[in-house]
Amino acid sequence: MPVVKADLERLARIVGAEKREIVERIPYVGLDIEELTESYIRVEYSPNRPDFGSDVGIARALKGIMGIEKGLPKYRVEKGNLKVEVDPKLHEVRPYIACVLAESLSLGEEDIRQLISLQEDLHQGLGRKRARAAIGLHDFSRLAQPIYYRAAEPDYSFQPLGYERKMSISEIIEKTEQGKLYGNLIKGKNTFPVLEDSAGNTLSMPPVINGSVTKLTVETKEVFVDVTSTDKKTGEQVLNIIATTLHDMGGRLKSVKIVYSNSTEVTPRLKPFTANLEKNVVERLTGLKLSKRDLAEYLSRSRLELRGNRVYIPCYRVDIMHPVDIAEEVALGYGIEKFDAIYPPPNSPGERNKFESFLESVSNFMAMSGLLEVMEYELTDEKSLIGNFSREDSGIIRVMNPKSIEHSLLRDSLIPSLLSVLSRNLKEEYPQRIYEVGRVFSRKGNTFDEHWNLCMMLSHSKASYSEAKSYLASFLNTCIGIKTSTEPSSHWAFSEGRTASILVSERETGVIGEVKPEALECFGIYTPVSGFEINLTMLYNMLNNSSHSI
Amino acid sequence: MATLHPLERKVLESLSNREWKDVRSLSISSGLKEDQVRRAVEWLLQKGFVEKHEVKHTQMQIKDKPAELKLVEILKSSGGTLSLEQLRSVLSQEELSAGMGKARANKWIEVKGDGEASVRLTGTDYSIYFSSFERISAGKELSAFDLKYLEDLSRRGLVQIKEHRSIEYRITEHGLAALSSQHEEYLEGLTAELLASGAWKGKRLRPIDVKADAPRFYPGRRHPVREFISEVRDVYISMGFTELHGGSIQPAFWNFDALFIPQDHPAREMQDTFYLEDLQDEAIRREGVYERVALTHENGWVTGGTGWGYRWDVNQAKKLLLRTHNTVLTVKALHEYGNRELRVFAISKVYRNESLDYKHLAEFHQMDGIIAGKNLNIKHLVGFLKEFYRKLGIKDVKLWPTYFPYTEPSLQIMGYSEKAGGWIELGGSGIFRPEVTIPLGVDLPVLAWGPAIERLMLLRYNLNDIRELYSNDIGWLRRRRQFASGEG
Repeated sequence: MPVVKADLERLARIVGAEKREIVERIPYVGLDIEELTESYIRVEYSPNRPDFGSDVGIARALKGIMGIEKGLPKYRVEKGNLKVEVDPKLHEVRPYIACVLAESLSLGEEDIRQLISLQEDLHQGLGRKRARAAIGLHDFSRLAQPIYYRAAEPDYSFQPLGYERKMSISEIIEKTEQGKLYGNLIKGKNTFPVLEDSAGNTLSMPPVINGSVTKLTVETKEVFVDVTSTDKKTGEQVLNIIATTLHDMGGRLKSVKIVYSNSTEVTPRLKPFTANLEKNVVERLTGLKLSKRDLAEYLSRSRLELRGNRVYIPCYRVDIMHPVDIAEEVALGYGIEKFDAIYPPPNSPGERNKFESFLESVSNFMAMSGLLEVMEYELTDEKSLIGNFSREDSGIIRVMNPKSIEHSLLRDSLIPSLLSVLSRNLKEEYPQRIYEVGRVFSRKGNTFDEHWNLCMMLSHSKASYSEAKSYLASFLNTCIGIKTSTEPSSHWAFSEGRTASILVSERETGVIGEVKPEALECFGIYTPVSGFEINLTMLYNMLNNSSHSI
Repeated sequence: MATLHPLERKVLESLSNREWKDVRSLSISSGLKEDQVRRAVEWLLQKGFVEKHEVKHTQMQIKDKPAELKLVEILKSSGGTLSLEQLRSVLSQEELSAGMGKARANKWIEVKGDGEASVRLTGTDYSIYFSSFERISAGKELSAFDLKYLEDLSRRGLVQIKEHRSIEYRITEHGLAALSSQHEEYLEGLTAELLASGAWKGKRLRPIDVKADAPRFYPGRRHPVREFISEVRDVYISMGFTELHGGSIQPAFWNFDALFIPQDHPAREMQDTFYLEDLQDEAIRREGVYERVALTHENGWVTGGTGWGYRWDVNQAKKLLLRTHNTVLTVKALHEYGNRELRVFAISKVYRNESLDYKHLAEFHQMDGIIAGKNLNIKHLVGFLKEFYRKLGIKDVKLWPTYFPYTEPSLQIMGYSEKAGGWIELGGSGIFRPEVTIPLGVDLPVLAWGPAIERLMLLRYNLNDIRELYSNDIGWLRRRRQFASGEG
């Protein structure tokens, strides 16, 4: 989740309230405080509110909920002369552009920091890592109008921001960090979007990198913003958020004419959009009976406005897509902390899930037999699951791109898990007798199997097949009550001649044996271990198929 | 025959070899304290089980070697003759005159010359005096001669003689009889034979040291996470909820699409979610509930909303993954049960592609629940959560706005923890969006929440690192307190 760092002094000045009050109210606009110091606050915001990507954006909401400035924020866009011509060849590559010019700015270091951080968050979030939309911020005084958004060949060259010399597009894509990160968004088309002014200066090569000519500084008085996109609506939403931010930083906004081959558009469009007020939806969600006046008041605290039956919504709100979203704005304006608590009593008693009950009974039985329950991770690594037993890895399910190799495979047996527990507890008193009731996973052709097993391991100087079998027999005879037999077999975890299949109604449901010394050595265990593993899902199904009802 | 007190028995046992012993040595051999021994022998004397006598002990302390012996040794080591002058340099005047006096009287030496006098050994045997002094110094048995010499030495102040008396005890024949009869009467322990024959009657079990430590034993136990899950389950059942059970492997459709999470939402990316390598759910195609969900994503369908406005891709929905939240189970139940009042819960594992640290795990547990019912709203969500957490030991709960794609409003549950000394984040809650419920055929309000359980467990067990819960340290699992204190 994105995070904004705001200077508290500055935020208090913009909002017009005490620092303490601000810190208190911040959670009630849906922001999560990550860090709070004397001088600054870092807050996490949800990706549905990209307008919270700067301190001025947060200030707007705070002013509303604190009653300092309510209703729609007012934005004025003057008609400007600047024109951007769009090359039709970009249609297949990155067809849309939306722009604004902000004049009369006097940006401080902090304003620039906020803008850059907002730009980055918009790239990641709404812009979907620049695939959908990418933003360029330029010092307009260095540009000659009109501006051209045009298609360029791979050998087109310019000096990218942060580099000392001119480079060709192919070179930028192959060699620069940004090229490696974002080049694939435009690769394979053989024509590339560039933004150029009338003097031939390259403003940027969207969505990869900006040119070096138009970098923002504290000297910048006029900022030209371009948002190129593959989705027109997203591009305009991104522009609206940048434009309203520049406005709140003191800029005078001028519109820009975008000339496509078959149409002309003027951006930005900062007019509020509207939705019908659905009073029943509000009442149903909030449980509040509200007058028109109350509704208007609460909506205005959320910086919306009720006129007649229409709700006016600021242009930067990209999250309003259903009447319930308006209802939430009413609830926030009313104050979430003010809702009464009503406990809804149940109409009928609750009920356990039968399989979950079964698993719990099995676990209780094992604990009552004197064993200690452990719970290991289901995701594991190659060595402990396969390598330590030198076994085939067919049927193992792997996950894609795990952050850690410790979590790259799903276990198909609990035996490695329990041996791993024993190997981590060599200094603890023996005998150690442990068990786990856990999930295991395996691949079955094109599909998968997921079921629950019980595994038990005994470790002490005299741990033997026979002791393991005592526990198995006690479990199967008294806990489950099914006739079973053990037949000689072989298994990757157990020693030859000391291994048996557990047969229940002639079906193989598990394995029992003495763990082979090769495996013990790999786990670094120097005490004998014996145990068994049995499929509980299978036992449960057998129980339910036999006549267990009364 | 009278029974013996344990102290009496121990003392008699120490005396059973019929030797005389004093209190001190009885204390050492019986392991009793000296005053316990004193008490016991008083009783035993009265009973006639022991007798006593008084013993005189003499103890000699040697102050110095007699001067005559010193003189002889010096002369002997210098070849038999020395001048008076030379003798004065090694012996004090006092010693010299005393030594010369005795030695001359015994005729061991003679003195010659007038101006420059010299002293010479005569050859008379003096060895009996040396051996006598040796015996006296070593405290050995003394002959008549020795005693005489001792008397002389003690008069001269060279030996000090100390005398003291002590009392010693010895077992009597009665005592021996009493002791042997005690051996028969005490039982070392009950046996099946004794119980069957009744031979235990009239006898006592030998007293044992009831304060001594016994060997430690570790009972079988459940894992604390399982115990906590059982506790939460009981809370849910008591509040009228039905338990759900479902698979960890789920198609992206139920984990994400059905919850109105758009297909390009960052949470769906591989760096957060464990997708399974080349496995997918082929049952999912654009029809039935899948189609309704697809349309809702694309244009809002009949839910009253606008949808996300993109082209929904069935292939994204088919991908198999490890569930990232248990909402996948509650939403499936909603689909299964349809448009009716419902209370269900699922306490189970969820999986996130995270690097482990003190507050993050790749596998942890969530305790999800939903209530579907007429006229339910935010007030009921607050009311339910307060009651639910009260039962789990959290005294107060408040809600802060937050965001999830599938609930509106979305509310963060904050709980007041006395142990943590403030408000802590417990997890997410909200009311399902119509875009979630309507495609499943449900138009009742559905309250939903899905907090993790580990946060509460850290409070309960006073742990700071979430990984400790799953370290399976057998020492901790064996020795942790069953009734961990306080909330959570």
